[in-house]
Amino acid sequence: MAMHAMHRRRFLRWGARVTGVAAAGLFVSASGCSSSNNNVVKIVSSLPRTGSAQGQTDTIVNGIRMAMEEYNNELFGLKLVHQDMDDATAAQGQWDAGKEADNAREALADPNVMVYIGPYNSGAAKVSMPILNEAGLLQISPAATWPGLTKKVPGDDKSGEPDIYRKSGKITFCRVCPNDFVQGPLSALFAKEKGYKSVYILDDKELYGAGIARLFKQKCEELGITVLGHESIVATQKNFKTVIAAIRDKKPDLLYFGGTSQSGGPQIAIDMKGEGLKCPLMVPDGCYEKAFIDGAGVDTFKEITCYATIGGLDPKELTGAGAEFVRRYKEKFNKDPEAYAVYGYEAAKVFLEAAKAVGTKDREAIREAVLKTKNFDKGALGKWSFDPDGDTTLRVLTISRIVNGTFQPEKSISE
Amino acid sequence: MSLGRMWVLLLFVALAVYPFLPLAEANRGEQFTILFIYAILALGLNVVMGYAGLLHLGIAAFFGIGAYTVGILTVPFLPFQQSFLVAALAAVVVSAAVGIAVTAPILRLRGDYFALVTLGLGLITLYAIRNLDAITEGTKGMNPIEAGPLPGIPDTVDMSAWRLRPDWSMRWYKYPYLYFLSLGTLAVVMLLLRNLEASRLGRAWVALREDELASACMGLNPARLKLAAVALGAGLAGLAGAFYAMALRTTGNPQAYDFTLSIIMVCCVILGGLGNRSGVLLGTFILMGFDRIITNILDNELQALQQRLNLGFGGQAYTKVSGWKLMIFGTVLILMMRFRPEGLLPEARHQRELHPEVAEAQGEAAAKIEAGETIRDK
Amino acid sequence: MFELLAIHPAASEFGQFLILGLVLGSLYALIAIGYTMVYGIIELINFAHGDLFMLGSFLALGIASGLGVLTAEAGVAWIVLTIGLMLVATPLFCATLNVTIDRFIYRPLRKSPKLTVIVSAIGVSFIFMNIGLFWRGATPVKFPDLIADTNLIDGTGLRFTWKDAMVVGITVPTMIGLTVLVKFTTLGKAMRATAQNPHAAQLMGIHVNRVIAATFAIGGALAGIASVVYGLYIKSVDYQMGFQNGLYAFTAAVLGGVGNIPGAVLGGLVIGVVGELGKAYLGAKWSEALIFGILIIILLFRPTGLLGARTREKV
Repeated sequence: MAMHAMHRRRFLRWGARVTGVAAAGLFVSASGCSSSNNNVVKIVSSLPRTGSAQGQTDTIVNGIRMAMEEYNNELFGLKLVHQDMDDATAAQGQWDAGKEADNAREALADPNVMVYIGPYNSGAAKVSMPILNEAGLLQISPAATWPGLTKKVPGDDKSGEPDIYRKSGKITFCRVCPNDFVQGPLSALFAKEKGYKSVYILDDKELYGAGIARLFKQKCEELGITVLGHESIVATQKNFKTVIAAIRDKKPDLLYFGGTSQSGGPQIAIDMKGEGLKCPLMVPDGCYEKAFIDGAGVDTFKEITCYATIGGLDPKELTGAGAEFVRRYKEKFNKDPEAYAVYGYEAAKVFLEAAKAVGTKDREAIREAVLKTKNFDKGALGKWSFDPDGDTTLRVLTISRIVNGTFQPEKSISE
Repeated sequence: MSLGRMWVLLLFVALAVYPFLPLAEANRGEQFTILFIYAILALGLNVVMGYAGLLHLGIAAFFGIGAYTVGILTVPFLPFQQSFLVAALAAVVVSAAVGIAVTAPILRLRGDYFALVTLGLGLITLYAIRNLDAITEGTKGMNPIEAGPLPGIPDTVDMSAWRLRPDWSMRWYKYPYLYFLSLGTLAVVMLLLRNLEASRLGRAWVALREDELASACMGLNPARLKLAAVALGAGLAGLAGAFYAMALRTTGNPQAYDFTLSIIMVCCVILGGLGNRSGVLLGTFILMGFDRIITNILDNELQALQQRLNLGFGGQAYTKVSGWKLMIFGTVLILMMRFRPEGLLPEARHQRELHPEVAEAQGEAAAKIEAGETIRDK
Repeated sequence: MFELLAIHPAASEFGQFLILGLVLGSLYALIAIGYTMVYGIIELINFAHGDLFMLGSFLALGIASGLGVLTAEAGVAWIVLTIGLMLVATPLFCATLNVTIDRFIYRPLRKSPKLTVIVSAIGVSFIFMNIGLFWRGATPVKFPDLIADTNLIDGTGLRFTWKDAMVVGITVPTMIGLTVLVKFTTLGKAMRATAQNPHAAQLMGIHVNRVIAATFAIGGALAGIASVVYGLYIKSVDYQMGFQNGLYAFTAAVLGGVGNIPGAVLGGLVIGVVGELGKAYLGAKWSEALIFGILIIILLFRPTGLLGARTREKV
């Protein structure tokens, strides 16, 4: 027994040493980070950088950096730095609430951070918005489109949106992309124009996907398009054959999927082909990315007609400064920008212009200046303003068809 | 034992002092808070696995139940709007009750069958949370969770005179109030478990784990003992969940409470030392600290370095430390199981069972002699 | 029979879901056999089995891209060659990997408590997933669509395509072959003996470690075959698919009575059918809950699974 005791003591000593080292490591690392220098101004972005949204977020980050380079990476005579934070985990393959909250707090803790660009997903915005709002840090999302983040959604008396995100009474969140009040209804309008009489709706049950599916459905009912059914899928099931087979028997003119290419979009197209559901598929901007086409396979869209919608314009349709942006982007990175690259660029640009006018490292003054932006035309999207809720006045929807592995803009509708 | 108690005590003191130190950062402190919460969860799992000897693969479900109970009872858009204290107590009670209700019928299952069913129950719970939109908001997460500590007490108390550092917040659920609260709760849980281990119930669990048949013959009721362990474990997991929702100020996506978390918690417990509270604490701090804090710091440093050297960015998974996380976890687990299966800080009885391998793994002359003695002891 | 189903739309719909469930179920069964054989012989829940399956599908995908056979337009000869090569190389690769893992990671732990080995298996599973992540990234990858979606029973109101036929055509002979192997060969006899009592088997002159290695090889090969079939059938693979499918297969193994090969097949089919019928009639969001609900209910009445022997645990 004595021997066991001895053994045990040695382990304990060892354990104590390990803990000591670990704890010391954490403490030191904590101090190491606080010693950041004050001669920089920081833009942070929090986007899903792991997982299939990466293709899209890569180009958003490229857009941000292109805007920064136009200012020679300098602001107020200080060095302008971009910190690229990831709000996704490999384990989930998409955004994670804990990670997004961590990012928001990390941004707040650094006094050099003047703007938080992101997130990409509306569900993630729900997490970071209240945190950033209380501390009064400006947040510009290039891609989160759920309307409830900025406006009260008609018929929603329960959630308390958007006031629950604005505890401080100030508005800190704005977005440069049109919200789903534009996208959902206008998609339905397009379906009507195409002469579809009946539609079946699927969604991924996320804030964004289910939200846009509901807005689409409401408008369809108004327009007299028969909604044959509305169902949620489970993205992790990775196989929707049965769901599609059941829809096939209902013979809809159109299948609408509210979701992203991370939450099952490509697999739905694959299974439509496999199960012989021949009607067209319509997807929102969460699928408006190359990852969607690659995931489903180019040849799948030879048999399945697929319309994808996006707020604003497709990069191919941009004119003037926008076309110039696309040209420079191609020159610099040797590939076409994804649809949201221009919104990354625009978000950084609107911040930089306002901050330049303010001229000092003052979070509050910069926030006010950005939200007051009116008739902004220094970016790539043409002339637009922020409305009182922080939404863009740009209210256009582009509908593209997937042809030969690319999005071919077919029509642009505005309200 | 004295040394064992010493380092834990020192660790707690160090953590309690941390927010006052000049090098402290609110951001880091908030990350520590999450670690304390995971430690409570791991201690809960340790009651089920380490004390009662049941392999449980669904502990995250109770964590989720706790978080969602707090969510339902406190969010502004539902009629309940209780204080955090009430909600946290309810979270403990609900989790424990669910634990008893779902475990009682399956107690007759043995070993791996039991483990699989707990896994299944975890998944069912997750889908229930996901699909019952009317009360849980489905996948959207319930927020904001910003309940005050007690009914009637305002949640911002003017303590400007006491605020020693500018980064301390006024709202109680923020740093460092929640930090101290969860650290304190963790300390209380540790003390409670220490007393429990020495109590009649704790000794009965040991007997049960070592030999169920013999303990039943001695007049113990195995079913009741197992249920007590599951109830306590689930209750602690629920408590941890309550704090988690509070710290995040949202329940997050239900995906945060899935099988992956259950498995990682099992790893924390085994890495630290199955059955040993201090070991479990250590295991959780190391594994979750690596997962939630160290990888972030390393990734940021790496990114800064890449920018300085103009190496491009974003890149593939293998250019980031977080991309190697599973690889590192896996390797650590395999090496631990090969060379130190009893964990970093082994529980005495468990270690004795595994002793021969330990002596071999030590590879020291002394160990060889000791091993020889073990054989003679037998 | 098909004409009969065509009469009533609800019946034809049910038949369709049944077909989908059985096809998917036979795929689960193939993976489940790997679980159940390993469990039967060393009582290890091999958490890494699903991820082995995932790596197999990545290799199959690599073969297709290597040969440049990515669409059905490549021509029948090339497609047959590609699939043939996949069906040889992938099982070989998975079997080798599985045996190597057993040799270096599980074998040194043969005398350790069960939990130690299970945790090692979890570790292996993490490493496999990370390799998959590096290999093909976090994005789901399109698997070449090589087999036609032509309906073989057109006009009946049902759909049974070449793909479905391929799944059945590969899985059923594989399972028959395996049964023959276990029942009638010397190796099979040695495996059964080892499963029953390793010590006694060793005393009888059976080289236990070699038998265990053979079990891992066969289980791995089956996972390899399943991974090719899965890729061709579902047409999209990603590094996390091992977890989900592994879970179903593991559940199938337990449902049938873990350690029991016909039980694993039965369990796989039950889970396939229950899952798909659940998706169709209860909604996709409840199908997992339904699968596990049924598993729990069955285990409550038959604590050792549908076909499991009613043995008492050794005390």
